[in-house]
Amino acid sequence: MIHISIHEQACRGCQLCADICPTKVFTYDTSLMKAIISHEEDCIGCLSCSYLCPSGALHHTDHHVVKNFYHDLEFLSRMEKFL
Amino acid sequence: MSQTTSTKKAPVTINTEWLSDCSGCHVAIVDMHEKLLNVLEAIEILHCPVLTDIKDYPKANIGLVSGAIRTEHDRHAAEEMRKSCDVIIAWGSCAVYGGIAGAGIVHSKEEIFDAVYGNNKTTISHNSPTTGISPFEKLVTPIDEVINVDLYLPGCPPHPAFIFDALLSLLEGRAPKATKESVCSRCNRTMVHTDVDKIKKNFEGVAEKENCFLSQGYICLGSVTLDRCMSPCPTNGMMCTGCAGATMQVLTEPNRDIRTEIADRMSKITKISRDDIISEIEYSAKSHYSYTMASKMIGKKPTFLIKKWIANTEAEYE
Repeated sequence: MIHISIHEQACRGCQLCADICPTKVFTYDTSLMKAIISHEEDCIGCLSCSYLCPSGALHHTDHHVVKNFYHDLEFLSRMEKFL
Repeated sequence: MSQTTSTKKAPVTINTEWLSDCSGCHVAIVDMHEKLLNVLEAIEILHCPVLTDIKDYPKANIGLVSGAIRTEHDRHAAEEMRKSCDVIIAWGSCAVYGGIAGAGIVHSKEEIFDAVYGNNKTTISHNSPTTGISPFEKLVTPIDEVINVDLYLPGCPPHPAFIFDALLSLLEGRAPKATKESVCSRCNRTMVHTDVDKIKKNFEGVAEKENCFLSQGYICLGSVTLDRCMSPCPTNGMMCTGCAGATMQVLTEPNRDIRTEIADRMSKITKISRDDIISEIEYSAKSHYSYTMASKMIGKKPTFLIKKWIANTEAEYE
């Protein structure tokens, strides 16, 4: 099963993940002003939330990795060298 | 325990070199404050333009190179560093992306010399110097265009905590703790949804302290910028200018760009249209791409047309 984690301090409370998620995995806690993972089991691993999240606070594990044909290969080779 | 064993080892030797940059990266080493003492126990600094009087390049384990390649001297120094060091770290945004020095790509050498020496209102001499300075290269480039780079540490300058961790991880032979999160991750503002329908310039009004700049109509680059700084600017009331370079998703995917990513997020939390945000960023492209424009990682994107945007903006002034 796909596991999602939110870096709580990094969440800026923009609700963009809740708005974009096609399967309504997230809810929004109005008192904390943070996103909450309510239905993790519904996640289809499209990563829309992860791409839209302004702070990069969302991390998925155990999802099916689709090889993106339009990745910049030249840069990808450098990516793992970033400190 | 581990500390006692590490002090017995031969110290790791380090060369640093300073190409076209402002010296901020070297100053950031001093900003490690007392943590520097921990590092100094395990390293020996050989070539360092601000510390040691060594002009040649002795053999060293680690080479820290800051600054972009702007002059022929920069190219020579970078090549010598590569020859003398086992591991080369591109250190700071100038070395990784070209940085502020890289903004020189939007003007020709003649235009730059004319602006600095020829028709500068604040200098008396109207002649460009011909001796005593190293000749300019045709273009400004990040160092990995000239030499093979093993590791990249962006930031302007990288926060001392990241330099400390990078050096320590190399000494201890472990992976560094560097994260892929953006500047927003350490900002203390909340991204609220608002009815703002107009983009504001940085100098217009005073931004509220609690809410995100994007929510208030100010263009802040925090969400597209790698966190190598601990977010001091947005936390203290200034919009992020993107000095540590773009996040991984912008760098790796040709269809994602600084302006489109900001426009996607900002248009969803305000009433400003996506196209308006994109054209505003293109209009002030020199500011918003000032740190990364010389890098092929940004410059090669099919939709990146900075010279055209700048020409459009300048035409409007005239």
